[in-house]
Amino acid sequence: MKPAPIAYVRPDTVERAVGLLSESGGEAKVLAGGQSLVPMLNLRIAAFERLVDVTGLPGLRSASDEGSEVRLGACVTHERIQTGDVPDPSNGLMPSTASRIAYQAVRNRGTIGGSLALADPAADWLATMAALGAAIEWVGPDGPGSCPAEAFVEAAYTTRLGLYDVLTGIRIPRLHPDARWGTYKLCRKTGEFAHAMAIAIRQPGGCRAFLGATEGAPIRLPAVEDMLAGLRGWDASDAARLGEAMAADVAAAGRSLSDVHAWQSRTCLARAVAMSFGAAPPRLGRAA
Amino acid sequence: MSSPRTIRFTLNGEPVSATIMPHETLVDVLQHRFDLRGARESCGQGLCGCCTVHVDGKPVSGCLFLAVFADGARVDTVEGLARGDALDPVQEAFIEAGAFQCGFCTPGFVMMVKQLLKEHPEPTDEEVRHYLTGNLCRCSAYPEILDAVKLASARQAEAARRA
Ligand SMILES: Cc1cc2nc3c(=O)[nH]c(=O)nc-3n(C[C@H](O)[C@H](O)[C@H](O)COP(=O)(O)OP(=O)(O)OC[C@H]3O[C@@H](n4cnc5c(N)ncnc54)[C@H](O)[C@@H]3O)c2cc1C
Ligand code: FES
Ligand code: FES
Repeated sequence: MKPAPIAYVRPDTVERAVGLLSESGGEAKVLAGGQSLVPMLNLRIAAFERLVDVTGLPGLRSASDEGSEVRLGACVTHERIQTGDVPDPSNGLMPSTASRIAYQAVRNRGTIGGSLALADPAADWLATMAALGAAIEWVGPDGPGSCPAEAFVEAAYTTRLGLYDVLTGIRIPRLHPDARWGTYKLCRKTGEFAHAMAIAIRQPGGCRAFLGATEGAPIRLPAVEDMLAGLRGWDASDAARLGEAMAADVAAAGRSLSDVHAWQSRTCLARAVAMSFGAAPPRLGRAA
Repeated sequence: MSSPRTIRFTLNGEPVSATIMPHETLVDVLQHRFDLRGARESCGQGLCGCCTVHVDGKPVSGCLFLAVFADGARVDTVEGLARGDALDPVQEAFIEAGAFQCGFCTPGFVMMVKQLLKEHPEPTDEEVRHYLTGNLCRCSAYPEILDAVKLASARQAEAARRA
Protein backbone atom coordinates (compact mmCIF):
# COMPACT_ATOMS: atom_id res chain seq x y z
CA MET A 1 0.00 0.00 0.00
CA LYS A 2 2.55 2.61 -1.01
CA PRO A 3 1.71 5.35 -3.46
CA ALA A 4 4.10 5.93 -6.33
CA PRO A 5 6.23 9.09 -6.21
CA ILE A 6 4.29 12.17 -7.20
CA ALA A 7 4.92 15.91 -7.23
CA TYR A 8 2.90 18.25 -5.03
CA VAL A 9 2.04 21.93 -5.26
CA ARG A 10 -0.07 24.12 -3.04
CA PRO A 11 -0.99 27.21 -5.04
CA ASP A 12 -2.45 30.22 -3.26
CA THR A 13 -4.76 31.58 -5.92
CA VAL A 14 -7.47 29.87 -7.94
CA GLU A 15 -5.98 31.30 -11.16
CA ARG A 16 -2.62 29.74 -10.33
CA ALA A 17 -4.28 26.39 -9.57
CA VAL A 18 -6.12 26.45 -12.91
CA GLY A 19 -2.88 27.48 -14.63
CA LEU A 20 -0.99 24.56 -13.07
CA LEU A 21 -3.73 22.14 -14.12
CA SER A 22 -3.82 23.42 -17.71
CA GLU A 23 -0.03 23.43 -18.07
CA SER A 24 0.09 19.79 -17.06
CA GLY A 25 -1.97 18.66 -20.05
CA GLY A 26 -4.02 16.37 -17.81
CA GLU A 27 -1.16 14.91 -15.80
CA ALA A 28 -2.03 16.91 -12.68
CA LYS A 29 -4.92 16.16 -10.35
CA VAL A 30 -6.70 18.33 -7.82
CA LEU A 31 -6.24 17.19 -4.22
CA ALA A 32 -8.66 18.27 -1.50
CA GLY A 33 -9.22 16.10 1.59
CA GLY A 34 -7.57 13.11 -0.05
CA GLN A 35 -10.19 10.71 1.32
CA SER A 36 -10.97 9.28 -2.11
CA LEU A 37 -7.79 10.17 -3.96
CA VAL A 38 -5.27 8.80 -1.44
CA PRO A 39 -6.96 5.37 -1.27
CA MET A 40 -6.63 5.28 -5.08
CA LEU A 41 -2.98 6.37 -4.89
CA ASN A 42 -2.35 3.76 -2.17
CA LEU A 43 -3.75 1.06 -4.46
CA ARG A 44 -1.96 2.58 -7.43
CA ILE A 45 -5.15 2.50 -9.45
CA ALA A 46 -4.70 6.18 -10.26
CA ALA A 47 -1.46 7.63 -11.57
CA PHE A 48 -0.71 11.31 -11.99
CA GLU A 49 2.46 13.31 -12.11
CA ARG A 50 1.40 16.02 -9.77
CA LEU A 51 -1.12 16.85 -7.09
CA VAL A 52 -2.51 20.37 -6.95
CA ASP A 53 -3.64 20.93 -3.36
CA VAL A 54 -6.61 23.32 -3.39
CA THR A 55 -7.18 23.47 0.37
CA GLY A 56 -5.11 26.65 0.66
CA LEU A 57 -7.04 28.62 -1.95
CA PRO A 58 -8.75 31.74 -0.58
CA GLY A 59 -12.39 31.19 0.29
CA LEU A 60 -12.46 27.45 -0.30
CA ARG A 61 -12.73 26.66 3.39
CA SER A 62 -15.14 29.43 4.28
CA ALA A 63 -18.90 29.51 4.49
CA SER A 64 -21.28 32.41 4.35
CA ASP A 65 -24.90 32.89 5.25
CA GLU A 66 -26.44 35.11 2.60
CA GLY A 67 -29.98 35.07 3.93
CA SER A 68 -31.92 33.27 1.23
CA GLU A 69 -28.99 30.93 0.61
CA VAL A 70 -25.81 29.59 2.16
CA ARG A 71 -22.57 29.36 0.22
CA LEU A 72 -20.10 26.69 1.23
CA GLY A 73 -16.54 26.71 -0.05
CA ALA A 74 -15.59 23.48 -1.83
CA CYS A 75 -13.16 22.47 0.91
CA VAL A 76 -15.64 22.60 3.79
CA THR A 77 -15.39 19.18 5.44
CA HIS A 78 -18.24 16.76 6.13
CA GLU A 79 -17.43 17.16 9.83
CA ARG A 80 -17.98 20.93 9.82
CA ILE A 81 -21.39 20.37 8.24
CA GLN A 82 -22.17 17.57 10.71
CA THR A 83 -21.35 19.64 13.78
CA GLY A 84 -22.98 22.89 12.65
CA ASP A 85 -19.67 24.73 12.38
CA VAL A 86 -21.01 26.15 9.09
CA PRO A 87 -24.51 27.62 8.61
CA ASP A 88 -27.20 25.08 7.75
CA PRO A 89 -29.80 26.14 5.17
CA SER A 90 -31.54 22.76 5.24
CA ASN A 91 -33.44 22.51 8.56
CA GLY A 92 -31.05 19.75 9.65
CA LEU A 93 -30.98 17.64 6.48
CA MET A 94 -27.33 18.40 5.74
CA PRO A 95 -25.94 17.73 9.25
CA SER A 96 -27.91 14.49 9.33
CA THR A 97 -26.56 13.44 5.93
CA ALA A 98 -23.00 14.39 6.89
CA SER A 99 -23.13 12.27 10.04
CA ARG A 100 -23.88 9.21 7.92
CA ILE A 101 -20.99 9.64 5.48
CA ALA A 102 -18.10 7.27 6.08
CA TYR A 103 -16.48 7.35 9.53
CA GLN A 104 -15.51 10.15 11.88
CA ALA A 105 -11.84 10.19 10.83
CA VAL A 106 -12.84 10.35 7.15
CA ARG A 107 -15.47 13.04 7.83
CA ASN A 108 -12.81 15.11 9.58
CA ARG A 109 -10.90 15.38 6.27
CA GLY A 110 -13.24 14.67 3.35
CA THR A 111 -14.80 17.70 1.66
CA ILE A 112 -18.16 18.39 0.06
CA GLY A 113 -16.44 19.71 -3.07
CA GLY A 114 -14.27 16.61 -3.39
CA SER A 115 -17.28 14.40 -3.03
CA LEU A 116 -19.19 16.28 -5.77
CA ALA A 117 -16.19 16.52 -8.11
CA LEU A 118 -15.50 12.81 -7.87
CA ALA A 119 -19.17 11.99 -8.50
CA ASP A 120 -19.15 8.45 -7.20
CA PRO A 121 -22.82 7.72 -7.97
CA ALA A 122 -23.30 6.48 -4.39
CA ALA A 123 -21.96 9.69 -2.81
CA ASP A 124 -24.43 11.21 -0.38
CA TRP A 125 -23.94 14.85 -1.42
CA LEU A 126 -24.78 14.32 -5.10
CA ALA A 127 -28.41 13.46 -4.44
CA THR A 128 -28.70 15.73 -1.40
CA MET A 129 -27.45 18.82 -3.25
CA ALA A 130 -29.73 18.03 -6.19
CA ALA A 131 -32.72 17.65 -3.85
CA LEU A 132 -31.95 20.97 -2.15
CA GLY A 133 -31.77 22.72 -5.52
CA ALA A 134 -28.16 23.80 -4.96
CA ALA A 135 -25.89 25.34 -7.59
CA ILE A 136 -22.30 24.24 -8.11
CA GLU A 137 -19.64 26.80 -8.98
CA TRP A 138 -16.23 26.38 -10.52
CA VAL A 139 -13.40 28.32 -12.11
CA GLY A 140 -11.60 27.07 -15.20
CA PRO A 141 -9.40 28.31 -18.03
CA ASP A 142 -12.44 30.10 -19.50
CA GLY A 143 -13.31 31.80 -16.22
CA PRO A 144 -16.07 31.01 -13.75
CA GLY A 145 -18.92 28.61 -14.46
CA SER A 146 -21.86 27.18 -12.58
CA CYS A 147 -24.81 24.86 -13.00
CA PRO A 148 -27.66 23.43 -10.93
CA ALA A 149 -26.53 20.41 -8.90
CA GLU A 150 -29.31 18.50 -10.63
CA ALA A 151 -27.53 18.91 -13.99
CA PHE A 152 -23.97 18.56 -12.68
CA VAL A 153 -23.48 14.81 -13.05
CA GLU A 154 -23.39 13.42 -16.58
CA ALA A 155 -22.61 9.81 -15.71
CA ALA A 156 -20.83 7.86 -13.00
CA TYR A 157 -17.60 9.72 -12.16
CA THR A 158 -18.30 12.23 -14.92
CA THR A 159 -19.45 15.78 -14.27
CA ARG A 160 -19.70 19.12 -16.02
CA LEU A 161 -16.24 19.95 -14.65
CA GLY A 162 -13.53 20.07 -17.30
CA LEU A 163 -10.09 18.60 -16.74
CA TYR A 164 -8.68 21.97 -15.65
CA ASP A 165 -11.62 23.28 -13.64
CA VAL A 166 -11.54 23.78 -9.89
CA LEU A 167 -14.85 23.41 -8.07
CA THR A 168 -14.92 26.46 -5.82
CA GLY A 169 -18.20 26.40 -3.95
CA ILE A 170 -21.82 25.37 -3.59
CA ARG A 171 -24.80 27.69 -3.16
CA ILE A 172 -27.66 26.12 -1.29
CA PRO A 173 -31.03 27.88 -1.15
CA ARG A 174 -32.61 28.00 2.28
CA LEU A 175 -35.46 25.57 2.81
CA HIS A 176 -38.82 27.02 3.82
CA PRO A 177 -39.02 27.06 7.65
CA ASP A 178 -42.02 24.71 7.41
CA ALA A 179 -40.24 22.28 5.09
CA ARG A 180 -40.15 18.69 6.27
CA TRP A 181 -37.60 16.25 4.93
CA GLY A 182 -36.77 12.60 5.10
CA THR A 183 -33.71 10.78 3.84
CA TYR A 184 -32.85 7.13 3.86
CA LYS A 185 -29.57 5.48 2.96
CA LEU A 186 -29.45 1.73 2.62
CA CYS A 187 -26.12 0.19 3.57
CA ARG A 188 -25.16 -2.95 5.41
CA LYS A 189 -22.57 -1.30 7.61
CA THR A 190 -22.87 2.19 9.08
CA GLY A 191 -20.74 4.62 7.09
CA GLU A 192 -20.51 2.57 3.94
CA PHE A 193 -21.38 4.02 0.59
CA ALA A 194 -25.11 3.60 -0.07
CA HIS A 195 -26.58 0.67 -1.97
CA ALA A 196 -29.64 2.83 -2.49
CA MET A 197 -30.83 6.15 -1.16
CA ALA A 198 -33.78 8.49 -1.40
CA ILE A 199 -34.53 12.02 -0.28
CA ALA A 200 -37.97 13.59 0.04
CA ILE A 201 -38.60 17.23 0.88
CA ARG A 202 -42.12 18.54 1.44
CA GLN A 203 -42.47 22.27 1.53
CA PRO A 204 -44.96 24.95 0.57
CA GLY A 205 -44.34 25.92 -3.03
CA GLY A 206 -42.93 22.62 -4.28
CA CYS A 207 -41.92 19.19 -3.09
CA ARG A 208 -38.66 17.55 -4.14
CA ALA A 209 -37.86 13.86 -4.41
CA PHE A 210 -34.66 12.21 -5.65
CA LEU A 211 -33.07 8.81 -5.79
CA GLY A 212 -29.34 8.61 -5.21
CA ALA A 213 -26.88 5.72 -5.49
CA THR A 214 -28.09 4.91 -8.98
CA GLU A 215 -25.51 3.92 -11.54
CA GLY A 216 -25.26 7.49 -12.82
CA ALA A 217 -26.72 10.88 -11.96
CA PRO A 218 -29.30 11.17 -9.18
CA ILE A 219 -32.82 10.65 -10.56
CA ARG A 220 -35.47 13.32 -10.00
CA LEU A 221 -38.96 11.96 -9.35
CA PRO A 222 -41.58 14.50 -10.58
CA ALA A 223 -44.58 12.16 -10.26
CA VAL A 224 -43.54 11.37 -6.70
CA GLU A 225 -43.22 15.11 -6.04
CA ASP A 226 -46.80 15.62 -7.24
CA MET A 227 -48.00 12.81 -5.02
CA LEU A 228 -46.16 14.28 -2.02
CA ALA A 229 -47.80 17.65 -2.56
CA GLY A 230 -51.21 15.98 -2.13
CA LEU A 231 -50.38 13.75 0.86
CA ARG A 232 -51.66 14.80 4.27
CA GLY A 233 -50.00 12.01 6.20
CA TRP A 234 -48.21 8.75 5.59
CA ASP A 235 -49.90 5.41 5.70
CA ALA A 236 -48.20 2.14 4.76
CA SER A 237 -51.00 1.61 2.25
CA ASP A 238 -49.66 4.59 0.27
CA ALA A 239 -46.48 2.63 -0.50
CA ALA A 240 -47.87 0.89 -3.57
CA ARG A 241 -48.89 4.16 -5.22
CA LEU A 242 -45.53 5.70 -4.30
CA GLY A 243 -43.73 2.73 -5.88
CA GLU A 244 -45.74 3.11 -9.08
CA ALA A 245 -44.99 6.82 -9.26
CA MET A 246 -41.29 6.11 -8.72
CA ALA A 247 -41.23 3.46 -11.44
CA ALA A 248 -42.93 5.85 -13.87
CA ASP A 249 -40.40 8.59 -13.05
CA VAL A 250 -37.42 6.29 -13.52
CA ALA A 251 -38.76 5.15 -16.90
CA ALA A 252 -39.60 8.72 -17.95
CA ALA A 253 -36.03 9.73 -17.12
CA GLY A 254 -34.86 7.05 -19.57
CA ARG A 255 -33.17 5.15 -16.77
CA SER A 256 -33.56 1.61 -15.56
CA LEU A 257 -32.90 -0.09 -12.25
CA SER A 258 -32.37 -3.80 -11.73
CA ASP A 259 -35.17 -5.55 -9.86
CA VAL A 260 -33.18 -5.63 -6.63
CA HIS A 261 -32.10 -2.03 -6.97
CA ALA A 262 -35.67 -0.92 -7.73
CA TRP A 263 -36.86 -2.77 -4.64
CA GLN A 264 -34.16 -1.13 -2.50
CA SER A 265 -34.86 2.31 -3.93
CA ARG A 266 -38.60 1.92 -3.34
CA THR A 267 -37.95 0.95 0.26
CA CYS A 268 -35.65 3.93 0.79
CA LEU A 269 -38.20 6.26 -0.78
CA ALA A 270 -41.08 4.99 1.36
CA ARG A 271 -38.94 5.37 4.50
CA ALA A 272 -37.79 8.85 3.47
CA VAL A 273 -41.40 9.95 2.90
CA ALA A 274 -42.52 8.40 6.20
CA MET A 275 -39.69 10.24 7.92
CA SER A 276 -40.84 13.53 6.41
CA PHE A 277 -44.14 12.86 8.19
CA GLY A 278 -42.41 12.30 11.49
CA ALA A 279 -41.39 8.62 11.47
CA ALA A 280 -38.29 8.17 13.61
CA PRO A 281 -35.02 8.33 11.67
CA PRO A 282 -32.89 5.18 11.69
CA ARG A 283 -30.62 5.00 14.70
CA LEU A 284 -27.10 6.21 14.09
CA GLY A 285 -25.18 3.40 15.70
CA ARG A 286 -26.77 0.74 13.51
CA ALA A 287 -26.57 -0.15 9.86
CA ALA A 288 -29.81 0.71 8.13
CA MET B 1 9.15 15.99 -10.72
CA SER B 2 8.65 14.61 -7.29
CA SER B 3 11.14 16.19 -4.92
CA PRO B 4 11.71 15.98 -1.18
CA ARG B 5 10.44 18.74 1.04
CA THR B 6 10.95 19.61 4.64
CA ILE B 7 7.93 19.80 6.90
CA ARG B 8 7.88 21.18 10.44
CA PHE B 9 5.22 20.23 12.93
CA THR B 10 4.58 19.65 16.62
CA LEU B 11 4.73 15.97 17.50
CA ASN B 12 3.38 15.02 20.93
CA GLY B 13 4.22 18.50 22.14
CA GLU B 14 7.74 18.71 20.69
CA PRO B 15 8.66 20.77 17.63
CA VAL B 16 10.08 18.44 14.96
CA SER B 17 10.94 18.48 11.28
CA ALA B 18 11.31 15.81 8.64
CA THR B 19 12.34 15.64 5.04
CA ILE B 20 9.70 13.69 3.22
CA MET B 21 8.49 12.86 -0.27
CA PRO B 22 5.04 14.19 -1.24
CA HIS B 23 3.64 10.70 -1.72
CA GLU B 24 4.47 9.59 1.82
CA THR B 25 1.61 9.20 4.25
CA LEU B 26 1.71 10.41 7.84
CA VAL B 27 1.55 6.89 9.25
CA ASP B 28 4.66 5.93 7.26
CA VAL B 29 6.54 9.01 8.35
CA LEU B 30 5.66 8.43 12.02
CA GLN B 31 6.72 4.80 11.82
CA HIS B 32 9.91 5.18 9.85
CA ARG B 33 11.23 8.66 10.69
CA PHE B 34 10.11 8.93 14.28
CA ASP B 35 10.01 5.28 15.27
CA LEU B 36 6.47 5.71 16.58
CA ARG B 37 4.86 2.31 15.97
CA GLY B 38 1.51 2.83 17.67
CA ALA B 39 -0.39 4.01 14.63
CA ARG B 40 0.01 1.27 12.07
CA GLU B 41 -1.22 0.72 8.58
CA SER B 42 -3.49 -2.19 7.89
CA CYS B 43 -6.01 -1.51 5.13
CA GLY B 44 -4.59 1.70 3.68
CA GLN B 45 -8.16 2.56 2.66
CA GLY B 46 -9.68 4.41 5.60
CA LEU B 47 -11.71 1.37 6.61
CA CYS B 48 -10.16 0.11 9.83
CA GLY B 49 -8.87 2.95 12.02
CA CYS B 50 -5.59 1.24 13.03
CA CYS B 51 -3.67 4.28 11.78
CA THR B 52 -5.66 6.90 13.72
CA VAL B 53 -3.72 9.90 15.03
CA HIS B 54 -4.87 13.40 15.95
CA VAL B 55 -4.04 16.36 13.74
CA ASP B 56 -4.85 19.74 15.25
CA GLY B 57 -6.95 17.96 17.83
CA LYS B 58 -9.05 15.83 15.48
CA PRO B 59 -8.65 12.15 14.61
CA VAL B 60 -7.59 11.35 11.06
CA SER B 61 -6.64 8.13 9.30
CA GLY B 62 -2.86 8.36 9.01
CA CYS B 63 -2.94 6.11 5.94
CA LEU B 64 -5.03 8.67 4.02
CA PHE B 65 -3.24 11.73 5.32
CA LEU B 66 -0.33 12.81 3.17
CA ALA B 67 2.55 13.87 5.38
CA VAL B 68 2.85 17.20 3.51
CA PHE B 69 -0.50 18.16 5.06
CA ALA B 70 1.11 17.97 8.51
CA ASP B 71 3.35 20.95 7.81
CA GLY B 72 2.65 23.49 10.54
CA ALA B 73 0.15 21.23 12.30
CA ARG B 74 -0.02 19.67 15.75
CA VAL B 75 0.18 15.89 15.59
CA ASP B 76 -0.59 13.70 18.60
CA THR B 77 -0.15 9.96 18.72
CA VAL B 78 -0.89 7.27 21.29
CA GLU B 79 2.74 7.47 22.44
CA GLY B 80 2.09 11.01 23.70
CA LEU B 81 -0.84 10.13 25.97
CA ALA B 82 0.94 8.80 29.06
CA ARG B 83 2.39 11.25 31.59
CA GLY B 84 5.67 9.58 32.60
CA ASP B 85 4.67 6.22 34.04
CA ALA B 86 1.04 7.20 34.43
CA LEU B 87 -1.09 5.92 31.59
CA ASP B 88 -3.94 7.99 30.24
CA PRO B 89 -7.32 7.13 31.87
CA VAL B 90 -8.54 5.76 28.53
CA GLN B 91 -5.52 3.44 28.32
CA GLU B 92 -6.13 2.36 31.94
CA ALA B 93 -9.75 1.64 31.16
CA PHE B 94 -8.82 -0.52 28.16
CA ILE B 95 -6.50 -2.60 30.37
CA GLU B 96 -9.02 -2.93 33.20
CA ALA B 97 -11.87 -3.87 30.88
CA GLY B 98 -9.65 -6.31 28.96
CA ALA B 99 -10.61 -4.47 25.81
CA PHE B 100 -8.15 -6.22 23.50
CA GLN B 101 -6.61 -9.53 22.65
CA CYS B 102 -3.77 -9.03 20.17
CA GLY B 103 -3.76 -5.26 20.64
CA PHE B 104 -3.27 -4.41 16.97
CA CYS B 105 -6.29 -2.13 16.85
CA THR B 106 -5.87 -0.64 20.33
CA PRO B 107 -3.87 2.53 19.61
CA GLY B 108 -6.44 3.53 16.98
CA PHE B 109 -9.35 2.84 19.30
CA VAL B 110 -7.72 4.74 22.17
CA MET B 111 -7.13 7.81 20.00
CA MET B 112 -10.69 7.70 18.71
CA VAL B 113 -12.12 7.27 22.21
CA LYS B 114 -10.14 10.30 23.42
CA GLN B 115 -12.02 12.42 20.89
CA LEU B 116 -15.34 10.69 21.55
CA LEU B 117 -15.13 11.56 25.25
CA LYS B 118 -14.17 15.12 24.47
CA GLU B 119 -17.31 15.55 22.37
CA HIS B 120 -19.63 13.29 24.36
CA PRO B 121 -18.29 13.06 27.94
CA GLU B 122 -21.07 10.61 28.86
CA PRO B 123 -21.87 8.87 25.59
CA THR B 124 -24.83 6.58 25.05
CA ASP B 125 -24.17 3.10 23.60
CA GLU B 126 -25.48 4.40 20.31
CA GLU B 127 -23.05 7.32 20.30
CA VAL B 128 -20.14 5.02 21.11
CA ARG B 129 -21.07 2.63 18.32
CA HIS B 130 -21.55 5.40 15.80
CA TYR B 131 -18.31 7.11 16.73
CA LEU B 132 -16.27 3.92 16.58
CA THR B 133 -17.71 2.34 13.41
CA GLY B 134 -14.55 3.22 11.51
CA ASN B 135 -12.39 1.21 13.91
CA LEU B 136 -12.23 -2.53 13.34
CA CYS B 137 -11.10 -5.05 15.92
CA ARG B 138 -10.21 -8.27 14.15
CA CYS B 139 -10.22 -10.07 17.53
CA SER B 140 -13.74 -8.78 18.05
CA ALA B 141 -13.26 -7.36 21.53
CA TYR B 142 -16.18 -4.99 20.91
CA PRO B 143 -18.20 -5.69 24.09
CA GLU B 144 -15.14 -5.04 26.24
CA ILE B 145 -14.29 -1.93 24.23
CA LEU B 146 -17.77 -0.61 24.99
CA ASP B 147 -17.14 -1.39 28.68
CA ALA B 148 -13.80 0.42 28.53
CA VAL B 149 -15.42 3.53 27.09
CA LYS B 150 -18.04 3.51 29.85
CA LEU B 151 -15.36 3.03 32.48
CA ALA B 152 -13.20 5.84 31.10
CA SER B 153 -16.24 8.10 30.94
CA ALA B 154 -17.21 7.34 34.55
CA ARG B 155 -13.64 7.99 35.72
CA GLN B 156 -13.52 11.23 33.82
CA ALA B 157 -16.80 12.37 35.39
CA GLU B 158 -15.54 11.35 38.84
CA ALA B 159 -12.28 13.27 38.34
CA ALA B 160 -14.24 16.32 37.18
CA ARG B 161 -16.43 16.15 40.29
CA ARG B 162 -13.41 16.03 42.57
CA ALA B 163 -11.59 18.81 40.76
C1 LIG C 1 -13.76 4.44 4.15
C2 LIG C 1 -14.48 5.49 3.36
C3 LIG C 1 -15.87 5.49 3.33
C4 LIG C 1 -16.55 6.46 2.59
N1 LIG C 1 -17.91 6.45 2.63
C5 LIG C 1 -18.60 7.41 1.98
C6 LIG C 1 -20.02 7.45 2.03
O1 LIG C 1 -20.66 6.66 2.69
N2 LIG C 1 -20.65 8.44 1.33
C7 LIG C 1 -19.96 9.37 0.62
O2 LIG C 1 -20.58 10.23 0.02
N3 LIG C 1 -18.62 9.37 0.57
C8 LIG C 1 -17.93 8.41 1.23
N4 LIG C 1 -16.55 8.42 1.18
C9 LIG C 1 -15.86 9.42 0.34
C10 LIG C 1 -15.61 10.70 1.10
O3 LIG C 1 -16.83 11.39 1.25
C11 LIG C 1 -14.61 11.62 0.42
O4 LIG C 1 -14.32 12.63 1.34
C12 LIG C 1 -15.05 12.33 -0.84
O5 LIG C 1 -15.55 11.46 -1.80
C13 LIG C 1 -13.89 13.03 -1.51
O6 LIG C 1 -13.59 14.22 -0.87
P1 LIG C 1 -12.08 14.65 -0.62
O7 LIG C 1 -12.12 16.06 -0.20
O8 LIG C 1 -11.44 13.71 0.28
O9 LIG C 1 -11.49 14.60 -2.10
P2 LIG C 1 -10.14 14.02 -2.70
O10 LIG C 1 -9.97 12.60 -2.33
O11 LIG C 1 -9.03 14.94 -2.39
O12 LIG C 1 -10.49 14.15 -4.24
C14 LIG C 1 -11.49 13.33 -4.82
C15 LIG C 1 -11.62 13.65 -6.32
O13 LIG C 1 -12.22 14.91 -6.53
C16 LIG C 1 -11.34 15.80 -7.18
N5 LIG C 1 -11.48 17.10 -6.48
C17 LIG C 1 -11.47 17.29 -5.13
N6 LIG C 1 -11.73 18.57 -4.84
C18 LIG C 1 -11.90 19.22 -6.03
C19 LIG C 1 -12.19 20.57 -6.39
N7 LIG C 1 -12.38 21.51 -5.46
N8 LIG C 1 -12.28 20.87 -7.71
C20 LIG C 1 -12.10 19.91 -8.65
N9 LIG C 1 -11.84 18.62 -8.38
C21 LIG C 1 -11.74 18.27 -7.08
C22 LIG C 1 -9.96 15.18 -7.05
O14 LIG C 1 -9.16 15.52 -8.17
C23 LIG C 1 -10.30 13.70 -7.04
O15 LIG C 1 -10.50 13.22 -8.32
C24 LIG C 1 -15.84 7.45 1.89
C25 LIG C 1 -14.44 7.46 1.92
C26 LIG C 1 -13.75 6.50 2.65
C27 LIG C 1 -12.25 6.54 2.69
S1 FES D 1 -4.86 1.53 7.79
FE1 FES D 1 -5.71 3.48 7.81
S2 FES D 1 -7.78 3.06 8.11
FE2 FES D 1 -6.97 1.07 7.88
S1 FES E 1 -7.44 -6.75 19.80
FE1 FES E 1 -6.82 -7.79 18.05
S2 FES E 1 -7.57 -6.51 16.51
FE2 FES E 1 -8.47 -5.67 18.23
